[in-house]
Amino acid sequence: MRRILSLLLVVLMIFGLAACASDSTTPAPVEPIAGSETPAPAPSGSTAKTVLNVWSFTDEVPKMIEKYLEMHPDFAEKYEIKTTIIATTDGAYQPALDQALSGGGKDGPDIFTAEAAFVLKYSQGDGSQFAASYNDLGIDVSNKIKDADIAQYTVDIGTNGNGDVVALGYQATGGAFIYRRSIANDVWGTEDPAEVGKIVGPGWDKFFKAAADLKAKGYGIISGDGDLWHPVENSSKLPWVVDGKLVIDPEREAFLDLSKQLKDNNYHNDTQDWQDAWFADMKDAGAKKTLGYFGPAWLINYVMAGNSGDTAGDWAVTEPPVGFFWGGTWVFGSASSEKKEAVGEIIEWITLDTSEQGLQYMWANGTLNGEGGTKDTVASGKVMSISNGELEFLGGQDMFDVFIPANQFANGKNLTQYDETINMYWRDQVRAYTSGAKSREAALKDFKQMVADNLDLIVE
Amino acid sequence: MSKTRKKRGILFRVVAYTVCLLLAILSVLPFWIMFVNATRDTFQIQQDAISLIPSSHLMSNIKILLGKTFDPIKGLKNSMIVSTASTILTIYFSALTAYALVAYNWKLRKPFFTFILAVMMIPAQVSVIGFYQFMYKIGMTNNFMALILPAMAVPAAVFFMRQFMIVSLPLELVEASRIDGASEFYTFNKIVLPIMKPAMATQAIFTFVSSWNSLFLPLVLLTDSDKYTMPIMVSLLRGDIYKTEYGAVYLGLALTVLPLFVAYFLLSKYIIEGVALGGVKG
Amino acid sequence: MKRRKNVSYAKYGYIFSLPFILAFLIFSLYPTIYTAVLGFTDYKGLAATSWSFLDNPFDNFISVFNNGSFRQSLVNTFIIWIVNFTPQILLALVLTAWFTSRRNKLRGKGLFKVLFYLPNIITAASIAILFYSLFGYPVSPVNSLLMKLGIVDGPVFFLVNKAYARGIVSFIQFWMWYGYTMIILTSGVLGINPEIYEAGEIDGATGIQAFFYITLPNLKTILLYVLITSMIGGLNMFDIPKLFMQGGPDNSTLTTSVFIYNQAFSGSYLYNRAAAASMIMFLIIAIFSAILFFLMRDKGEIQIQKEAKLLKKERARLAKSQEAM
Repeated sequence: MRRILSLLLVVLMIFGLAACASDSTTPAPVEPIAGSETPAPAPSGSTAKTVLNVWSFTDEVPKMIEKYLEMHPDFAEKYEIKTTIIATTDGAYQPALDQALSGGGKDGPDIFTAEAAFVLKYSQGDGSQFAASYNDLGIDVSNKIKDADIAQYTVDIGTNGNGDVVALGYQATGGAFIYRRSIANDVWGTEDPAEVGKIVGPGWDKFFKAAADLKAKGYGIISGDGDLWHPVENSSKLPWVVDGKLVIDPEREAFLDLSKQLKDNNYHNDTQDWQDAWFADMKDAGAKKTLGYFGPAWLINYVMAGNSGDTAGDWAVTEPPVGFFWGGTWVFGSASSEKKEAVGEIIEWITLDTSEQGLQYMWANGTLNGEGGTKDTVASGKVMSISNGELEFLGGQDMFDVFIPANQFANGKNLTQYDETINMYWRDQVRAYTSGAKSREAALKDFKQMVADNLDLIVE
Repeated sequence: MSKTRKKRGILFRVVAYTVCLLLAILSVLPFWIMFVNATRDTFQIQQDAISLIPSSHLMSNIKILLGKTFDPIKGLKNSMIVSTASTILTIYFSALTAYALVAYNWKLRKPFFTFILAVMMIPAQVSVIGFYQFMYKIGMTNNFMALILPAMAVPAAVFFMRQFMIVSLPLELVEASRIDGASEFYTFNKIVLPIMKPAMATQAIFTFVSSWNSLFLPLVLLTDSDKYTMPIMVSLLRGDIYKTEYGAVYLGLALTVLPLFVAYFLLSKYIIEGVALGGVKG
Repeated sequence: MKRRKNVSYAKYGYIFSLPFILAFLIFSLYPTIYTAVLGFTDYKGLAATSWSFLDNPFDNFISVFNNGSFRQSLVNTFIIWIVNFTPQILLALVLTAWFTSRRNKLRGKGLFKVLFYLPNIITAASIAILFYSLFGYPVSPVNSLLMKLGIVDGPVFFLVNKAYARGIVSFIQFWMWYGYTMIILTSGVLGINPEIYEAGEIDGATGIQAFFYITLPNLKTILLYVLITSMIGGLNMFDIPKLFMQGGPDNSTLTTSVFIYNQAFSGSYLYNRAAAASMIMFLIIAIFSAILFFLMRDKGEIQIQKEAKLLKKERARLAKSQEAM
């Protein structure tokens, strides 16, 4: 008994230490059952701040809001933010967010974000009842959009069935081909973006011809088939679902063959995007060196720059074989939020403020956290026209020269609210087919089966 | 005695030790790899995921880990509250229920034991949909009580305690205590519980470990990041998809195991000695 | 004297079981019934708040039965469970025999016991990540080892291969749980009256004979306990299959629990279908448990009756001696 008591003591001590170390405002574990569903009453003490719950799948938006608080001390006096960040890896973000949104109350999100792969769910689909219209947040949205010259697809995607804008993005996510200068030089004797663009495209035939050139010299063209998927996915005409029915666009179906061709000819390192080996290829840590990646400006700054190691500065961007866009973050205010005015202020600053103190200007020019930060293409045409996209990482190239024209390929027409889930099933089947585990027909059949089994959709 | 018997004994030892050593290595290796990787940086891990030699990046990994929204202290605290409370409830109430089954002759005793055997078969996952909806309706999502209180009724633990009591609890002691005029509740707390120590410790390890590691229910019930338990945090660790810091991920994994290590080795005496469980069924 | 013992103490049996029964009713039985009811309704969709019974109450059950993924998940669950449980129980029995052997005393068995349980204490999430990188492709420790040993020419893409993926999940389950099984079985052996073994030794029984004729028969109840708990655990495998490969590749490690989770908490939020699947799962487990009980029944029952008689005698003797006092 003494032994057990002493153990309990140790446990309690560890627990006590932990309790001391963490902030004292954490609520006690035992909460009154009744009333926890209703929002907490506003704190009466003058020092207590109102908490804004922010849900996101990366730390981008939470960091922006921190910056906003820093720049607006009077706002920061009244409000503090509590962030919940859950990555979209393994599809974990949506279920958690959905539960929090339907749970509501004081733990419910006030501001939340969604990615292109599932933004429609919250702007137009099953989750649209959770989104507050920007007008209700006190934003003069239609005039501001005109004034800032926001990219049309951003607005289209963020507009709900009643024609109200409920979400806007701050990025423009037209894609480019991001390649290694030294490898291009070694294989084709040029590293000039205009020249390399003509070698790898336009069209997949030229791209595969380039891959053969690279193979002869012992290089791969891309890291894995996932790199090819994003151009294919977002250059297709039809979305996965039309009128509640599953549709496989021919362009997307052709991905099976493109992927197989890459694998059979050993044109890549056969990695999976977002896995160890894929990141490793950014700094030449893979089986063979690879020429490049497909991606929008955000891929350069938020993924490649941090993972590239010694290869930084050896990169350049050029026109991709087919135009595409990939990703983007849309910002929502919650319909059930009790703090709509504050939410509106923050959202307006992120999505519609075109001044040099606005988020988008700092975001485009990399000055959000002081000079020399990461740059990105942004949604406001007005801001883009006064911004500079030269990057050390790209050997001084102005990436906006490539990305601004690329943004014309961005549209919301081929998106659905199910994209994240359906893409996961599709990529699994393509992987099974290319690795030789099953036939093309079987892969297509099993893909349809997966969709039918797990989603409330009609599959023919 | 005979030579063949001696030879057989040696052979047995060789086989037994070889198997045991292999299994022991298999048990320790993953922990070792985890701790070593916690000291390596992302580049080293990407080059070669497994190494047996520690590197020098522990401090930078700590920095990266704390720079994320990962808050190990909060996670440890939450897990500690849930697991400790669940464990105490489980061992105390299983012992109490088992005592009711062993020490008293009541009419419904046999049916009740059959009932416990039967409900042992209801897996928690089967009722999770209903449990979630129920907790949601009464506003107990994001409340640790929803995870702790069910620990009062763990049929498998009752069964375990009962089998132990049958072998190890001399009912004479209970009688003696009664003659001394002690109340039944007092007798249970002061005389029966100390005898139950080995079984309680063993069961405490099992309960604590499974509660500490449980993911399914907390994942469904907790949406407030301040209330996340350690396994939820770990499952989200791979999360920062823009830049995966593997060294920091492994460090986070290692942190989740450390408290369990402490608790486990403190109680390991009972694993070594073992507890005697009776074979009587009903 | 007698009056007090038989009348006034019985009520404590009820009183002491009450907390368990209450907690069980509220947190186990009610949710189970609630789940069963939901299986007959149209309760689905994000943020659905109300539900009504379906015109054909068995619609959800029919659609679950016709669901290819669900049938696949049943098959997977059984394959993974059998592949991991068979070696697990055999190894646990062998280790139990070794560690409780009266003739050959192994040194350091305490340490071994402690170590063997160790894999059980790591969070499944950690194990999943660890094994994922162990079997990674194209570069991973297992692949480089196999290539160095010359067993394969190029890297093997383990995680797109159904058999390998199931094998790895089975191995993880085996590796995590054999120590637990061994500890419970050892506890069962310790509960066997040593006099039986002594009698066996006098009769000249070898260690192996003692194991088969004394240990195993006397271990029946504990063995049943292990079988049932591990079957329930095995048929409800969730953490590892979910975290290791999300049920993939190609649904090959999709267990029923993962299926239920996916139906209810991701994608289309089909609570009703998930509830129906849960109930089907419950029925299957109940049937298997019943079979196990039946198979393990016979002799145990007889022994119980014997022991009950003995107990009665003992009680009578005790009462007598007390009265004599």
